[in-house]
Amino acid sequence: MDALFLLLPISLLFVVGIGAAFWWAIFSGQFDDTQDAARAILRDDDGPQS
Amino acid sequence: MPRVSLFSPPPGMTEGMRRARRHMLARTGLAWLGMMQIMMLAFPGYLRGGVRSAEAQTSLEQAIVLMNWTSLALCAPVVLYCAWPVWRGAWRDLARLRIGMDVPVALGILAAFIPSVHATWTDAGEVYFDSVSMFVAFLLTARYLETCARQAVSGQSGGFDEAPLLRSADRLAFWFVVVQILLAGLVGLYWLRAAPEHALAVTVALLVMSCPCAMSMSVPTALSARRAVQLREGGALGAEDARALDRATVRIARQNLHGSLAWHLLMTPLAALGWVQPWLAAITMLASSLAVAANAWRLTRMAGAGPAPLAQGIA
Repeated sequence: MDALFLLLPISLLFVVGIGAAFWWAIFSGQFDDTQDAARAILRDDDGPQS
Repeated sequence: MPRVSLFSPPPGMTEGMRRARRHMLARTGLAWLGMMQIMMLAFPGYLRGGVRSAEAQTSLEQAIVLMNWTSLALCAPVVLYCAWPVWRGAWRDLARLRIGMDVPVALGILAAFIPSVHATWTDAGEVYFDSVSMFVAFLLTARYLETCARQAVSGQSGGFDEAPLLRSADRLAFWFVVVQILLAGLVGLYWLRAAPEHALAVTVALLVMSCPCAMSMSVPTALSARRAVQLREGGALGAEDARALDRATVRIARQNLHGSLAWHLLMTPLAALGWVQPWLAAITMLASSLAVAANAWRLTRMAGAGPAPLAQGIA
């Protein structure tokens, strides 16, 4: 029972951390277009470098 | 031939649309994260009454107090931050003396959240934090799908007059909401006199059920599926195919609308009888929203990829 007093706040901290990471990932644009990364390799410019 | 999904960003997306989408995704995802924790923390509360020995009962009650406070800490941001679009929409509706779909949703959240906070504070009675967070998370999921669908067809009707469909969906949703709120009030009053301990749960379940998310999704998802077919086929749609596609779009939108209405009408009596717990009501709501999205996306499957004429697949 006493362990809960320690474990629950720790789990709360983890949830907050995961939430913050998720928030950062969204607002840095990682979920804007999930197919874009796969398409990008087909779009690269193989022409002579200028 | 680009593969288009409901979540592909539409061509010509503006900065404002991108921001709205990111905010919706953040609210939805964080609501799901909070919901998953709160559902686990709610578990001891459901064990109440099944315990035999007095000693076990005491330690269970202690655990429940702890769990309730942790749930409150997690549920407060879900209600305040994630559900923010609901508060904003409900406030806008009330300020204009209208009843939109945000009003019953806001009522449902308040009716479950405030008594739960009170029960946690005074350490007496049931808490519904799990139902509240599930409701918010599922509602936002439906809203996120709807936002994606609306953005996919924004600014480009593609030669299709969707106004009558949207109008009939709006009218149906309006009357549905009005009737459901009245019904929730009346049934709640009845239960308050017959069995006060169940009144809150029944009212909350009815208010959760009265959220017409599936109905408000029904037309936009069908339109965005139609748009996806158009984008996939490029300009290669013949006149025959285009007409078949339009007919199929209207048919699917109607199916969505009437199917979700029938589903709500089927569940409402069960909720009024007290057979549907609030969390179950939230799950049925999610089920109907997802069914609507899946049914709309059937249009892209029916139309079939490749050179074969669309008209055969759709008709």
